[in-house]
Amino acid sequence: MFRFKTLAVALAAVLGAGIFTVPSSATTEIVVWADETRGPNIREALKAKTNWVQGYTVTVRAFANFDALKDAIDKATATTGPDIVVGANDWVPTLAKNGKLAPLTLTAAQRARFSPSQFYDLSYKRKLYGIPVDVNNVAMIYNTRLVTTAPKTFGEMVDYYKANKTSKSLKAGLCVAGGGMSWGAHSVASALGADAYFFNSNGTINTGRVFNPTTFGNNVKTYLLDGNKSNGFFPATDAGCKDNFLAGTVPFAVIGNWEWTDYTAKGFTMNLMPVPGVNATSPGKAFGSVSGAMLTSFAKTRGLEAAAKSLLVNFFGSTEGQVAYQKIEKRPPAEKGAANDASVAAGQKGFGAAAAAASVPQVGAVLNGPSGKSYWDSLPAYWTAVLVDGKDATVEARKLAAIYRANLALAKGDL
Amino acid sequence: MLTTLIRGKVAFVIKAISLALITAVLLMLTQSAFAQEQYAIALFLAIAIILLNYTYFSKKRVPLKFFLPGVLLLTAFVITPILYTVVMSTYNYRTGNYISKEQAIERIKALAVESDPDGTAFDIVVGRYRGEFALLASDINNSSYFISTVSDRIPLDPESLEIDEIGVAQSAPDFTPLPPGKISSSKAASLRFKFDGEYFLTIESLNVGVVLRQTLEYLQPTDQFRSLITGALYDDNGNGNYVNVDDPEEKLEPGWRDPAWFSNFARLVQDDRVRTPLFSVFVWTVVFASLTVITQFAFGLLLALALNKPIRGRRIYRSILVLPYAVPSIMSILIWGGMFNTEFGAINEILGQQIAWFQDPTFARVAVILVNLWLGFPYFYLVCSGSLQAIPGELLEAAAIDGANPRQVFRRITLPLLLQILSPLLIASFAFNFNNFNLIYLLTGGGPKQQLDGEIAGATDILISYTYQIAFGSNIQDLGLASAISVIIFFIVAAISLYGVKRSKVLESFS
Amino acid sequence: MTKWLRENLWRHITGIIMCVFALFPLYLVVITSFNESGSLKITSFIPTDISFANYKLLFTDERIPYMTWMKNSLVIASFVAVVSVVVGAASAFAFSRLKFKGKKAGIQILLLIQMFPAILALSAVYVIMERVYTFAPGLGLGTQAGLILIYLGGAMGVNIWLLKGFVDSIPTELDEAAKIDGATPVQTYWLIFIPLAAPVLAVVALLSFIGTFNEFILARLFLVDMESRTVAVGLQQFIGGQFSENWGPFAAGSIIASIPIVIIFLSLQRYIISGLTAGSVKG
Repeated sequence: MFRFKTLAVALAAVLGAGIFTVPSSATTEIVVWADETRGPNIREALKAKTNWVQGYTVTVRAFANFDALKDAIDKATATTGPDIVVGANDWVPTLAKNGKLAPLTLTAAQRARFSPSQFYDLSYKRKLYGIPVDVNNVAMIYNTRLVTTAPKTFGEMVDYYKANKTSKSLKAGLCVAGGGMSWGAHSVASALGADAYFFNSNGTINTGRVFNPTTFGNNVKTYLLDGNKSNGFFPATDAGCKDNFLAGTVPFAVIGNWEWTDYTAKGFTMNLMPVPGVNATSPGKAFGSVSGAMLTSFAKTRGLEAAAKSLLVNFFGSTEGQVAYQKIEKRPPAEKGAANDASVAAGQKGFGAAAAAASVPQVGAVLNGPSGKSYWDSLPAYWTAVLVDGKDATVEARKLAAIYRANLALAKGDL
Repeated sequence: MLTTLIRGKVAFVIKAISLALITAVLLMLTQSAFAQEQYAIALFLAIAIILLNYTYFSKKRVPLKFFLPGVLLLTAFVITPILYTVVMSTYNYRTGNYISKEQAIERIKALAVESDPDGTAFDIVVGRYRGEFALLASDINNSSYFISTVSDRIPLDPESLEIDEIGVAQSAPDFTPLPPGKISSSKAASLRFKFDGEYFLTIESLNVGVVLRQTLEYLQPTDQFRSLITGALYDDNGNGNYVNVDDPEEKLEPGWRDPAWFSNFARLVQDDRVRTPLFSVFVWTVVFASLTVITQFAFGLLLALALNKPIRGRRIYRSILVLPYAVPSIMSILIWGGMFNTEFGAINEILGQQIAWFQDPTFARVAVILVNLWLGFPYFYLVCSGSLQAIPGELLEAAAIDGANPRQVFRRITLPLLLQILSPLLIASFAFNFNNFNLIYLLTGGGPKQQLDGEIAGATDILISYTYQIAFGSNIQDLGLASAISVIIFFIVAAISLYGVKRSKVLESFS
Repeated sequence: MTKWLRENLWRHITGIIMCVFALFPLYLVVITSFNESGSLKITSFIPTDISFANYKLLFTDERIPYMTWMKNSLVIASFVAVVSVVVGAASAFAFSRLKFKGKKAGIQILLLIQMFPAILALSAVYVIMERVYTFAPGLGLGTQAGLILIYLGGAMGVNIWLLKGFVDSIPTELDEAAKIDGATPVQTYWLIFIPLAAPVLAVVALLSFIGTFNEFILARLFLVDMESRTVAVGLQQFIGGQFSENWGPFAAGSIIASIPIVIIFLSLQRYIISGLTAGSVKG
């Protein structure tokens, strides 16, 4: 009986050995993590050339969605983590603080391929952690079937809405279709005077200055309110905006550069512009942020740091790589050569132009709220408080300004 | 036939073979776990093997035969994670203090380098020079070339080199290049090659080398970091960071997770920014779970009473009514989210209103309860119908003969009996909804939040969703604090459930 | 007639109102699934143009291997349902029928561990599976086998608890008679208990099946590769993009995913009622 058992053990051990093979330690496989759309597109673009990094192969893992990717990178360790993760620029501070990212040093020639503000986005405490891959921004589109000429001021849009509200059964005047009520709506807040931060003449953030809440509050009262109720021009949520714009019931919408093809598919031309300001000379600034390919600290543990850096430079940071990738991904490329490449579509270029006219870099260190209250939650809260709950626009604006001020003061050391 | 299978020799052979197979696979795993230095797992597996074989080959130990597989699975995937969470609640485990101390020291060292003022970089070829790792560096702008080893920097004569069309030297006498596929994992990748004084040349990517210098050094004996630029010293502050001796506010990042004992629990009581939201969230959690159970039960019971008679179409009603319970809840919750939209949602469309459901705290709470009612009333309908049939008919008839009207029969007899039968279920439902993460996460995400007024928790946040946000939120993640809260939640829910068990025990002795 | 009205009218009114309430969101899902624009916007309650574009997308777009997801979900959920009931039933039998030291404590521990907010233990589960991956890549992080193991562990507490309720309700006379006949507990289990409890086991299996089918938080963390995802993860992908929401394919996919569960549910309705009454926690 016992002999029989030993035999079976031996037999099964042989079987088991076939199933569970231990991965070898010295690998030449660079692992890249990305989300559900970028992942497959990067995988496809990598096929354009076989030797992006001579002697190494690249494997791309695409997660089910952006949140799942964030969840995974938050929990990943060197055992199973990636060498490169393609994610949002505002992940940089958190991931760097948690020791998950490793810095890279670019040569002057490599740096020259990008605008300095894009590096700003991917840096934390003066260390660069990634290569800018695509530009994320929003711009305002107007429906030419309703409005024939581009509005010059915010007031013109409001007047149009009030005049045609009933006759054209408009649901709203201007709404945010892309980027949400904090990131996407910055352009609207900025048009009315509430920028997230201001810059010194040398290009650094002015940590001592916030917007003027009285001016902003008065503008909100003049343009968005009727007494203490919303005049219906600007809804406090982004839900349904895209549909309504496409259905012709909203004349102006802030749209994102990642989904412009949905608009062209419905026959809209890319009449893109910044949100006009209260004065014709001060258009609302939209966030122009970048998604980055970031180097993880796991690469070093896996003996792939130098190879991963080569992939970052040769593929993610090169004209050739970005052209191949953006041909499929259809976002504006971050790299200068790729941005000017002939194969880039008009829509991609339109967003590029809007960004050039009025944009502001997205600085995670300030916006993520070192004071505990982030910009991301505060601005939507303002819209709700004023447009839905009917609270006083100026009083709430002062609270908003106080949060901005606190975050700027605390972020000083991280800039 | 079945009996022989269970009793006879055949049964023993089957048992021996399957046990041997399982043992073999586990043994295999134990071995590789041991080889990969996963000792805890290896130990667990080894114990599992011994227990399995002992239990199933021994003539005694009968109860263990029944529940050993269940116990092993529970221990591995439920009890261990719970213990881990309990341990984590005593650590300052949060953003900035996420990794172990060894890893943090590694990271600080790796971050403590800076380029020279010009950001000098060279095109390089990695290889060996006279047996030693070396870099063949080309300064293409000045057409100057050198080989750098760890100890030496040897200028080269361009004439002696093989230079490609863009001016990068590809080979030199006594220099053998490394195959590209070997560079990254070779020792050379972390070596510091001689450049100039404190500045060294190091491999950045496979064909670029950069000039850097070290800014901090680690002093092993005293467990300190010292700045090589200013001479400042950084001490372990006992709380997971190295801080400047002269300025405790100046921390080196990253920090590490350090035992914090009961400070996370203390924060729950002492820190105003933690305590206040926690209290309001707790109150809402209790209200939410109670209202959910009450509404679900009330509507379920109403339906069960209405359909307790074989009226026409009862089967159709019943088939339709169980649908909410049968369709995947992830789908129905998200659809409800869309329906409550202010501008275009179906609910406002029907009401002809512009209610900002998810922006207004009261409406958002109503919406959450309503959706949960939809999800849960079919369950109570099914349960109540079953229990109604279990109430003896004679009891009701006797009451009717005694002159009680139907309403009185219901109030005096049916309802008390139902409540008694169903009390364990009602309590279980309360406990489930107390931790109903999916509903809140998918429907409102915990919002709305009046952040301008300093609110940290959202109006519909329940303890579990609030804790999840603290642990895995987007900006500041505090796993230590979140673990402490979950330990507290555990005690609360456990108390409720034990009370429920007591009630059901009472019931058992009754019948 | 008037008697009929008095006795039954309110029953029908209640039934109809609640049916409308139950059906309304589901009706919207159906409309949305036939709406090409991919939005949840309700233009009219009676659809004007019916388009099958969303369904076509699920079956033809090679970037959305919907049928593979469906298969994965069915395989994982069935496996978990069957194994967890088999293992759980044995434990439940022991807890209910056998006498041993520490039984009471065991039952209480079993109840208590279910009360722990499992979502927080996520990090620990991740760490464990990551370690398993280092020596058994076939079982660790990112594999369906690993996910199944975790589900089995998670389902164990609930199932043992549920099944114990059933076993308690089976009269003890039968197994006492068997004992007198000289049957060992193992024989009693197989020959008396299992046949008696079969319908109940089916219900508990169904409940674990649904629970597993719906789970997405662990699944989306574990099943990274497109081909290994489950339906719940895949569906979330449509509406959980960084900024985009595609309700059309989501609705179409949800309907297809619901069909098997709804069919099983409706056909096992009778069993389910008795199963639930004995002590479930969903609701």
